Amino acid sequence: MTTMLSTTGLTVTFGVNKAVDALDLVVEEGQLVGLIGPNGAGKTTTVDAISGFVPCHGEVDFLGTSMTSLSATARARAGLGRTWQSSELFDDLTVLENLQVAAEKISTKGFLRDLVNPRNDDVEALEKILASVDLLAAKNQLPTELSHGQRKLVGVARALAASPAVLCMDEPAAGLDSTESLELGGRIRSLVDGGLSVLLIDHDMGLVLTVCDVIYVLDFGRLIAKGTPEEIRSSPVVIEAYLGGGSDA
Amino acid sequence: MFVSKYLQRWTTPRGIAAQVAILLGVALAIVILISANQTQALVLGLGAGALIAALALSITLNYQGSGVVNFSVGAMAMYASYIYFGLRTDGKLFLPPIPNPLALIEGVVHLFGAPSFRLPAFPAFISVSHGGSTSYSYGAAIKTAAMSAPEAMVIALAECAVLGLLFHLLIFRPLRKAPVLAKVVASIGLFILLQEIVVLRFGSDAQTVSPILPQHPVSLPRGIRIPSDQLFLTAIVILVTFLLWGIFKYTRYGIATRAAAENEKGSLILGFSPDFLAGVNWVGSTVLVGLFGILIGPINQSIDPYTVTLLVIPALAAALLARFTSFSVTVIAGLGIGMASSWIQYITNQSWFPKVGGAALPGLSDALPFVIIIVVLMLRGKSLPTRGSIETIKLPFAPKAKRALPSTALFTIVAAVLLFVVTPDWRLAIVNATVGAVICLSLVVLTGYVGQISLMQMALAGISGFTLSKVADAYHIPFPIGPLLGAVVAVGVGLLAGIPALRVRGVNLAVATFAAAMTIQSVVLGNPAWSGTNGASVAPPSMFGVTFGPNQPWSKIFGGGKGLLPNPWFGVFCLVVLALLILGVVNIRRSRMGRQMLAVRANERAAAAAGVSVSGTKILAFAISAFIAGIGGALSGYRFGSVTADYFGAVPSMLFLAFAYLGGISSVSGAVVGGMLVAGGISTMILTSWLHVSDQYTLLIAGTGLILMAIFNPQGVAGGIRELSHSLQARRHAKRGEQPQVELQEVSS
Repeated sequence: MTTMLSTTGLTVTFGVNKAVDALDLVVEEGQLVGLIGPNGAGKTTTVDAISGFVPCHGEVDFLGTSMTSLSATARARAGLGRTWQSSELFDDLTVLENLQVAAEKISTKGFLRDLVNPRNDDVEALEKILASVDLLAAKNQLPTELSHGQRKLVGVARALAASPAVLCMDEPAAGLDSTESLELGGRIRSLVDGGLSVLLIDHDMGLVLTVCDVIYVLDFGRLIAKGTPEEIRSSPVVIEAYLGGGSDA
Repeated sequence: MFVSKYLQRWTTPRGIAAQVAILLGVALAIVILISANQTQALVLGLGAGALIAALALSITLNYQGSGVVNFSVGAMAMYASYIYFGLRTDGKLFLPPIPNPLALIEGVVHLFGAPSFRLPAFPAFISVSHGGSTSYSYGAAIKTAAMSAPEAMVIALAECAVLGLLFHLLIFRPLRKAPVLAKVVASIGLFILLQEIVVLRFGSDAQTVSPILPQHPVSLPRGIRIPSDQLFLTAIVILVTFLLWGIFKYTRYGIATRAAAENEKGSLILGFSPDFLAGVNWVGSTVLVGLFGILIGPINQSIDPYTVTLLVIPALAAALLARFTSFSVTVIAGLGIGMASSWIQYITNQSWFPKVGGAALPGLSDALPFVIIIVVLMLRGKSLPTRGSIETIKLPFAPKAKRALPSTALFTIVAAVLLFVVTPDWRLAIVNATVGAVICLSLVVLTGYVGQISLMQMALAGISGFTLSKVADAYHIPFPIGPLLGAVVAVGVGLLAGIPALRVRGVNLAVATFAAAMTIQSVVLGNPAWSGTNGASVAPPSMFGVTFGPNQPWSKIFGGGKGLLPNPWFGVFCLVVLALLILGVVNIRRSRMGRQMLAVRANERAAAAAGVSVSGTKILAFAISAFIAGIGGALSGYRFGSVTADYFGAVPSMLFLAFAYLGGISSVSGAVVGGMLVAGGISTMILTSWLHVSDQYTLLIAGTGLILMAIFNPQGVAGGIRELSHSLQARRHAKRGEQPQVELQEVSS
């Protein structure tokens, strides 16, 4: 199995506080890896560090290449995609245009050609992605005209439009009801079954424990457990730190 | 580790203050060692430095309190000096021209051929004196004071307090949740409005003012002398700084304002509403600049509507150096800039200073703030703060133009036909509007599509026109290579000035580009050695032996005809250029480039995560925008036959952002409307020829319109028309019981 993404000693410091402390994490090819932890555990900071949005110490390797010195844009172009907890869509562009931004690359030749005769390449491929999340009918709508759940799906579709090799999903189920969340889990699982590797962060324990192959548990920035959903369910450390007190798991 | 801790310490406000103090100290020591004359020059800049410091303090107060970078702070100081002047010399409080409903009736009557018809107007002045001359002429020297200095100052400052509150309540409070662009535009509107009110009431000429502070010379060691009023002014600004420092450090109000600057909700915890804090800061900052505006007049020996107004540029540099937070750094920087400017002026007048064409390079002191801003942006980069605010109102929508080719062709043909049938005045107005639309179009790409605010578009246009003039003179480079080369040089200069600021977010680009425009105006376009006393001359365009400049009668082109002037074929040429640029910009919006630009405008983080190079996109937009502005500059050069510093300077650059915003900054149709609104364009002709409103009111109306547009209709005139047509369409469909059509165009068009 090929290692798609790995972090070694990943550490993020804000002032004197270590938001992430020496995290070692591995995402193998075709694996759905979950990252869970209580509020403030450092989950989103981990994704921000992996995708290049916060400065960090340690190593981030993607397909055997160090990403540490690369910008967020360069990491995205290399195939390391991410979604956002609050969708962060381009509200001035239609749903299809949101996907086009992620899918298209600018070249000097393309720039000059576009000045005279702009073209829309690969629209069919993007429409297929939209169809896979049941949003084809909304392709010419603005994101502000969609429901919260639909906006979340546009965020996922936009990340997929860039054809990533690994996708880091930051709380895709936040704000969704239990039915929508379950449906989303199914979609994510089918993406992984199609060959995509995913790092999934979510508060929805039901979702993570149901769909993930491997789960990492963070608490105060430190890794406290790692294992299969069954191992995590029965881990006394996790139960004490996170699941104790009658959690939804 | 040690180095990074060291750097961290030196980038705190205290560390920066120390750096500035050390640098100034070292510079001062060197100068004092070299020559007493240079020290004399340095200390003579204290007065101007104190004013710059006060303006910078006011900018910081406004930014902390309400998130507004106030470009009108110099205009406020100037306005206050005229309130004082009017009271002191004539015992009269001047009033702004208040919109008179009767003027509309007058306008309609004038339209029907009775230009002499007049209805009563609002008064221009209110007499508040207890005596004094009423036949005083403002252009003459002071005869008798109608009011004592303390009385006049108290009334003037009271009016400043009221104005500060009104600015907050009527302009900036409604814009609390608006994007930075709307706030910048509103402050530009205020800048124009205040300046034009003073010009209307007092004229453009300088007015002599009587002393306020004692003016006896004070002797310092080594024979250095300084007027005491400059020392007083410096002492006052230092005292004010201590007061502000104390208030912001030790009072709940000050702590709440600092909290609000970080996070507006934070101030609520301390029991203050962000609105209240913003209002108090507006009143305080307006009174502060008012006081210094009044006190600086006698030091400068006169007041005029322009000099102090433009001191906003060095004040912005001082405020930026202090990261819009530290009062102590602000005042040290302000005083330092004032003194350094005075010293630069002194050394440029020395015989040993390098000469260009027999004269010292002018405007170097104007370039100082720009150099400071660029250095700060390059060194600090992303560590510069952006104020926390609740932006819920988005930038104007950037639509994809429908049926662009036929509508552009139709517009061009109609305008071209009009060129041949209208009177010369209207023909010139069409040409002015066309050239203006080109400049506005440059802002559509940069500000409308990418959300970056440039206040140097006219200066870039001027650089292009200047290059066109020089390459034609020196190397006989013909049309159309000359204008294209000019546009390329404009791109180069624009990138030099813009790239450091493009790395950072928020309003910093506006500040940097404004200072760059001032530098270009003073150093390049205003340099008599390079541009002559009447500007650099531009030869008319000529191709295949046919010259088609505005002053070539058309009969000489195709024979026959009546020899119309200005030449309508020049207008056609401008229209064709505009049409080509419009189609190019429409295609940018339709293409991947436009999508990436709008993605960057909407959300830089998400754009980067989608693989878009945020800085690359901004730089590309800046380059395209500078190129279009450069083409506009070349057209403008042809139109006037010369490139002058006044027409292509910092204030015209500001005005063009205003016109583009008024028209609708995020659409090509908005740029066309913006072109019609420019001074000398279609709107001027409608006002002067149809409504018989004097053209001196054009800028006053533009300033007022700008503020109103920023508050009530950020989409601009074109966007407003588009929204109106959409709502009418929706209503029509609703009446027929039909579903409204999807307004957005198919992407695969």
